[in-house]
This record gives sequence, C-alpha cells and structure tokens, in this order.
Amino acid sequence: MPQSDIPLLWSALGANALAVLFYLLHVQIRRPAIWRFAFALVLTGFAVQTLTLALRWFAAGYLPVTNLFSTLFFFSWCLAATYVYFELRYRLHASGLFVMLVNLVLLAAALQRDPAIPALVPALDTPLFTLHIVFSFLGYALFTMAFSLGVLYLVRRVTGSALIPDLSKLRRLNEEAIFLGFIFFTLCMVFGSLWAYLAWGYWFSWNIKGVWSFIVWLFYAGMCHAKFVRRWQGTGYALLSIAGFGVVLFTYLGIGLLLRSNHPLG
Amino acid sequence: MKGIQTMIKELWNFLCSLKLAIVLASLSTLIIGAGSMVMPAHPEIFGDLDRMTLTNWYAAVASQHPLLTWWLPVAGLLLISLGVNTLCCFCDWLMRLRSRWRKTGEYLIHLGFILLLAGYLWGAWAGNRTEGLRLPPGKSVPLPAPEGYALRLEDFRALTGPGGRPIDMISDLSLLRGEEVVARKTVRTNHPLLYQGLVVVPLSFATETSGFRFLRPGRGLVDLVTGETLELSGQERLEVLDFAPHVLRQSNGRVRRIGDQLRSPAFLLELRAADKQIWKGWYLLREGLPEALEHRLNLRPVGPLENRISVVTANYDPGAGLAMAGGACLTAGALFAFFSYYRKRRRQERPEVI
Repeated sequence: MPQSDIPLLWSALGANALAVLFYLLHVQIRRPAIWRFAFALVLTGFAVQTLTLALRWFAAGYLPVTNLFSTLFFFSWCLAATYVYFELRYRLHASGLFVMLVNLVLLAAALQRDPAIPALVPALDTPLFTLHIVFSFLGYALFTMAFSLGVLYLVRRVTGSALIPDLSKLRRLNEEAIFLGFIFFTLCMVFGSLWAYLAWGYWFSWNIKGVWSFIVWLFYAGMCHAKFVRRWQGTGYALLSIAGFGVVLFTYLGIGLLLRSNHPLG
Repeated sequence: MKGIQTMIKELWNFLCSLKLAIVLASLSTLIIGAGSMVMPAHPEIFGDLDRMTLTNWYAAVASQHPLLTWWLPVAGLLLISLGVNTLCCFCDWLMRLRSRWRKTGEYLIHLGFILLLAGYLWGAWAGNRTEGLRLPPGKSVPLPAPEGYALRLEDFRALTGPGGRPIDMISDLSLLRGEEVVARKTVRTNHPLLYQGLVVVPLSFATETSGFRFLRPGRGLVDLVTGETLELSGQERLEVLDFAPHVLRQSNGRVRRIGDQLRSPAFLLELRAADKQIWKGWYLLREGLPEALEHRLNLRPVGPLENRISVVTANYDPGAGLAMAGGACLTAGALFAFFSYYRKRRRQERPEVI
C-alpha cells in the first residue's frame, strides 16, 4: 500500500467530519456562507478520496475493491460522488447533512480495518469483476441517497422545516435516485452473472449473497413500478426507500458479518 | 359474444396490471428473503444447490426436507407468475409501440427478465452439472451431458505463486464428439471452454500415479505404464495390462483395488510368446516378481511415475444462450433507459399515474 494513503485517508475523514459539523451549524445559523463552506469541505474530501483511490488503483494495478476496508472506502467514494452530483444539479444545501453523516460513518468504519491491498486472486482478475463492483457500489450509493431523501421527506413532512427542499422536489429526487440505482444495479447483476458463468460455470449462484442481490434487484424493480401508483407516492415511497436501504445494508454488510457466504467478496 | 370479449379484455388487463406486478414482486421478495434465512444454517441441504441443477437438487435433496425447502417452489411459482405478467406487459407495449416507443429501454429490461427466467427454467429442467470431473492426460473422459461428447486433456500446467501456492490451472482441452474434435481451448480461470451450452471451467488438480520406474540391471531404466511392452529373450513379450496404485491380495489369491493413493502398487501383466499367452497375473511390488517371471527378468523398483490430472467442472445448460440474450436485453435496456431518462424529463413527459 502506498505510504501516502494513511494521511490522505485521515484528511478525507477530517474534511467529511468538518462538513458534517458545518451542516449542523447551518441548521442553527442559517447563513448561505456556512453551507457553501460545508459543501466546499465535501468537495475537498471527495477530491482527496478520489486521489487516494487513484493512487491505490495505480499501486495495485487493478481496482482494489476486494476486502471490507476497500469496499467501505469505495462505497463512501461512490456516495460522495452521488451527493456531489445531486447537490450540483439540484442544490440540496443543508439537506446534505444526512447523506454526509452516512458517508462519515462509512469512512470511519473503513479506517478501523486494515487498508493493505491484498494480492489479486485469478478469479477476480477480469474486467467483468471491475464492472460488476463499480455498478454494484454506484447502485448501493444511489439507494443510500434515496434512503437519505426518504428520511428528509418524512422530516420535512413532520416539521415543515424550510431548510429542507419542498416535498414535491424531494419526491422527484427520490424517484430519480431509485431509478438510477436500479439501472446501475441491473448492470451490476448482468456483469456479475456473466463473470460467474465464465469463472464457475453457472450464471446464477444460490450462495446467500447471490440470492439477496436478486432480492435487492426485485425490491427496487417493484419500487420502479410503485411510483406509478398514486397511493405509494410521497410518504409510501419514502418508507419503501428506507426499507430498501435495510435490504441493501443486509446484503452488503449483514451477510458478510452475520452469515456464511461463498461469494467472492464475502 | 360481447360478454366474452369483455371478459377476455378484463383478463388481459389483469395480466398486464402494474399492481399485479408490484404484488408478485413484493411477495417473491418476502418469500425468498424469509426462506433464504434457513440456507446458511443448513449447508447439508442447500450447499449442493450450485453443484446440481435445481430439478436434480429438488428430487435428490429438497424432497427429503420439505419443511425447510417449501418456500422454493412457492417462490418459483410467484416468479413464473411475475414472468407471465411481465410478458403480457411487454406484448401490450409492443401492440402500442408507435405511441410508446420512448419506453423502449424499460421494456427491453422487461424482455431481458423474461428471457433470463425462461433460460434458467430451461437449464434447470434439461441441463446437467458435473463438478470434479477428473481428466488424466491423453485420456478421453465421456461427459454425462450432452450425450456422445467426451473431453480429452492434451496438457496440463499448474501455475504457482510465491511459496508454491497454486494460483491457476491451465488445461489444454479437446472436446470430442465420437472421434471428431469439435472444439479446442486452453482452459484457465475466467477462460472456459464454451460449446453449445456446455461450459468447462477449471476446478482443481491432483496427482495420479500412472506407473513405476524400474532399473533393469545391464539395460538401464524402464518405465512401466498401462500399454507398455517389454521385449524379453526368446521372442517373449511382457505387456502391462493395468496399473493400480493401491491393491490388496485377498486370502483366495484374488487382487482387489483399494484406492487411488499410492500405497501398495501393482501391475496386471501378461507374458506372451508369439501369439500365445504363457502367463497372466498381478505383480505386487511389495511381494516381488511372481514366480513365472523371476527367472526371465530382473526388475528393481526406482520410484513412481506421477501425472498431474486436471479436475474440472463441466456444466451443460441449454438455456444459457437464452439467458445471454436476456442479459444483452437488460444491458441495452438499462443503457437506453438511462440516456432517455433526462431527455424525457426535459420534455416534461410524466408517466400515467394510477
């Protein structure tokens, strides 16, 4: 692992922690300069994370997303990228607090793990693995974004706070996050299945992670349809986004930590 | 007549119903999610699911444990119903293509799901999975499926990493139909042999003792393996009919094979003069040369001759092509839907809400 990684990782964590603090401050003192500074810190943290990822990729010779540290770090990078996209496009302002809080938890959890880059096993040495992993975490990040937007929707509905965008905007953004997440997760499933077929001789595996990945896909496929049903729009959709995040968390972390799986990434 | 038409229309609307899709997807999610919780706790039941086709597994394993596996056929029925619903939606879209072509991406995803489901069911019904097929070099090993095919290992190399840890297995394979070679491929991790639904991937490798090396004083070293012939004096020939790495001579004098580990090796030999058999019997190295050969030949065992054999997985999935087509539809649909999403939103196109 490059020696420069450790200070870079801590710098990214520091920038994210400060961003969260400034977003919290903005809740108390509502001045545009504060959320602007908070977002500048988010951009700084994201830039540092991008540099760290690039250095690790260069050092390893492959996208290093093969153990819990690197998947947490990559998940955090994808979530930061997703938030930056939503902020730049839709100006969520202080609503970033919740997303960045989730991102801070991911980054802090990653730093508890060994950041050493493991040797690449031959089964993972294929572009299909890289595509599978990139689309998987982009999907997870968008589902996490949808979860954050769902929580914001409920908070806004209960409190009516002017700090949070209006309900129709939140509903629209939530639907967009779910749709994009589903598209990316579909691509993740396709590349994963093709890779499994070439590496193990079957394209659908009954290992518990494979089964739950299918559940994630099916759940969000259902959600992509539910947005067309009036009674599921708004609050119902926000609740489904929160439930969906539970399914994602269980698939990503719960299975690896609580159950035994023979999926290549645990 | 009008009543029947109305009924058919209502049935069609029900089959194409969005709400039906949501109900079926939700029920499938719940059933599979809850049912799968028993999987890690019962590896003796669910551990073989990837080693055999679903129908074979159901017949051999699941039917013995109905309380733990009932959710699988229920989930299967729900998914098939969802597939029918998706197919009806897709057909309905096709019939209104002129006004709904902008939804091509979304409906390609529908088609992809239908093809994947059909491909999986076909493979589960008519396919076959063989894990741990042992391929000694040069020998043709028949495949359980498809019928009439065999695999021949031409060469095998194990790649080792630091500390001698095996990191990859490279097998030069030929696929034969009868005597004809229909495909050749150097198979290694992520590079399988693919032929009309058959996929052969490396699994492991093993060492197999194929014979023994002997010293014939005054004549040098000689390797005895099955099929080898030694020329003796006076037009006599000794042919190796078989080799077994571990045998046991029973009290009645008969020899019984015990296993593949090298422990008590033995040769089945035949001594011939011209076309006439003089003697045939087992030569157990532990016992020394049989009486019939003692004065004809002097053999001193030097060491075993070992071959590396390739162990592969050979799965036959006739639905794989359909599933690949489904994957292509999903990919194309996802990309089309992704790029058309923002365009549709710019044009303020909002879907119909029910």
